[in-house]
Parts: sequence; C-alpha cells; structure tokens
Amino acid sequence: MKRSGLMLVAVILAAWFAASAQALTVGLDRSSVETNIGHRFTFVSTIANTGSTTESGLVAHLNVLSDDPGVYVDPEDWSSNRTRYLPALAPHQTLRVTWTVQAVNSGQFAVYVAVLPRHGPGPITTSPPLRVAVAERRTLNSGGVLPLVLGIPALIGVAAVGTRRRGR
Amino acid sequence: MTTIALSPPRRAWLIVAGQELRDLWLGGRGLALTLAFSLLLSVMTYLTATNSVLNFLEQRESVNLTLQVAVAVGALLVLLGAADALSGERERGTLESLLLAPVHRLELVVGKGIAALSLWLVAFAVSIPYIWFLGRGVGLVGTALGAGFLVGSLLALFLAGLGLLLSSVAGSNRVSLSVALFLLFAFFAPTQLPSGAQQGWAGDLFIRIDPFSSGLHWLGKVVVDAHSFSQDASWLASPVVAAGLALLGALGAARFLALRGGGQ
Repeated sequence: MKRSGLMLVAVILAAWFAASAQALTVGLDRSSVETNIGHRFTFVSTIANTGSTTESGLVAHLNVLSDDPGVYVDPEDWSSNRTRYLPALAPHQTLRVTWTVQAVNSGQFAVYVAVLPRHGPGPITTSPPLRVAVAERRTLNSGGVLPLVLGIPALIGVAAVGTRRRGR
Repeated sequence: MTTIALSPPRRAWLIVAGQELRDLWLGGRGLALTLAFSLLLSVMTYLTATNSVLNFLEQRESVNLTLQVAVAVGALLVLLGAADALSGERERGTLESLLLAPVHRLELVVGKGIAALSLWLVAFAVSIPYIWFLGRGVGLVGTALGAGFLVGSLLALFLAGLGLLLSSVAGSNRVSLSVALFLLFAFFAPTQLPSGAQQGWAGDLFIRIDPFSSGLHWLGKVVVDAHSFSQDASWLASPVVAAGLALLGALGAARFLALRGGGQ
C-alpha cells in the first residue's frame, strides 16, 4: 500500500515536471536556409509561455552543429552573441528573439535554439532545427589577378630605377 | 650704404614643400617605399583572391582586409617620412642652413609635413587597382575607396603631426622613430587583448581611444556591414581628435625648433 502511494506521488511529480516542461515552446520563423560561405543570415525564434504561471530567469542559447562528422564547427565563429537572458514571460506571452549568424563553414548544418532556466535543474526546451546549406566559396579570378599583382610593382620598380639613373 | 633686409618669401611653405617633394620622389626614397608597399598589397591581393582555405570569407571581407592594410601601412609610411623630416636634417648636419634660410619655422614644418603626406596620397593611388579588383561586382569599390581615403587621411594627418612633433625635439632619427612607434604600439596593445577582455565599457573605451583601432573599426562597419558613413561616425572621433592634437602639437613645437634636439 505504502509502495503504491509512493509510486502515485512519483507519477504525479513526473506529470507535473512534464507539464512544466511543456509550458514553454520555441519555434523558428523558417526551417531551412541556403547561403554562401561568409554570408550572414538572420532568423527569428519565438518563445511562448503556454502555461498558466509566469516563467522568469530564462536563458536562450544558440547552437550550431554539422551534419558531417568530418567538419569541425566552432559556434563562436558563427555568432558572437549566442546567449540571451530573457525577461519574465507572463502566461500566454510570446517573445521574439532575432539571431544573426555568419556561415563560416561550407556544408550542411543544423542550428537550433535552446531555452533553459538560469538556475536549477529545470527542463530544456529546444526549437526544431534550422537546416542550413552553405555553398563553398567561389574564389575570385585567380588568373586575372596575376597581371595586376605583378604589373603594379613592376611599373613602380621601373619608375624607381629610372629615377635613380636620372639622378646620377 | 645699402641695407638689404632678407624677408621671408610669400608662401615659403610652398617652396619648402616643392623642394622636399623633389628630394623625396626624385631622390628615390619615396618610390622605394611605394615599391615595398605595392609588393605587400600584391601578396595580400593574390592570397585573398586565390586561396579558398584562408579565412577570408567573402568578397566584402577580402576588400576590407586589403583596404585596412593599405590604410594602416600607407599611414605608417607618413610616419617614416615625418619622423625623419627634422631630426634627419639635424643628424645630417643640414638643419643649421635650413634654420638660417629666410623662412619661418612654422612654414618649414608645414612644407615638410606636406611632403610626408604625399607618401599617403601615392600609397592610396597605388591601392586603387587592388581594391577595384577585389571589390568589383559587388558595387563596393566607390564606397570602399571613399571610406578608406577618409580614414587613411585622418590617420596620415595624425602620424604626420606626431612624427613632426617628435622629430622637432628628438636629437636623432632613431629616437624620433622609435618613440613614435612605441606610442603607436602602446595605443594598439589593448586591442590585442583576448576578445573576452575587450567586452564591456573598458574594452570598448580602449578601442575607441586608439585612433587606429577606432578608424579601422569604422572602416569595417562601412565595408563589411554596409553601414552608411554617418551610422557609426562616432568611431571617427578619435582619429579626428588625434589628428587635430598632433598637428597642433607639431605646429606649436615648430616655434621652438632648435639646432640641437630637446630644445637646446
């Protein structure tokens, strides 16, 4: 009897935690982005408090990961402002957070936003992933640059030699 | 008995500037410095245009990097010219004849300053084709060149004033040049702190105080982030103030220009 009572309490607590975990939702304004390496793009996450109590002390954090195990990703390179401390969210209130990201690697990536409480063990709510396809950088015209990078110093060199000879 | 009064010619600074420009550009020193400058820009441009592994991510950043190097090194050439202007004459023993010439000392310094500034103007002209090559196709060339000329001119004026000020009081080229470079590095050092240490008001202040860092920061905002010239204009306060103070200091020190260094 005692054991079943404890189980009942555990179930109620689990249900309560589950309910509080679902009190927040995080959505993104788009599901995919196609861009070129080096370019910046912006997306908006919408954090909604669907519960009946005010949620305070929340932090939103941006994460980046590569689909390819061979590609190293340093999220700091993608965004220097990845952590946002959010104001209190009243019941049924939503908050829009804009993120600007620079694609610094080429390939397929996933970007998502996680929202968690600043203190305590509370649940982490994550957004669906934003799938980012980053195209390789097109190098500039390497053949066309040679006449320029060789020609200008050559012209100045000729002028310097000519001036020196005339000075003698 | 006839008395001949040697009065200074009108616009003597133009005569001094003309003579100094001839010495600098026909003597070969200016062209040698420009050749070294163009070689540096050639290497930079070749790497940014061809090497996809380098972290030069997009065309705007390539333009910005090359432009920043052109502006910074072009302005440093002015420092080399200005730091040599008076202490060099002193070191070579030719300052005495200059001081005896019927020219106000102020005009002497102005003429030498103009010659030093010509190094920046020529460096900027040399950098135009490189910036054009990297920035064509993205409508960036005019903006980049305009912003680069503005920042580079402010920095060149600052370094010309600083170089002339130090050169007028230093006994030798070595002293004036080393003190000028030391001051530049002292300004620049805080900007090399880890990015975490640059956050907050102290880090922001360090970058804003240093004319080089703040000027180049503004340049990056215009070229990379496509901001308008006026959007981050407060970042130009430091180069403007530094240029004004350095030029005033140089002109003030010109009044006390003496045969020996240290005002002796």
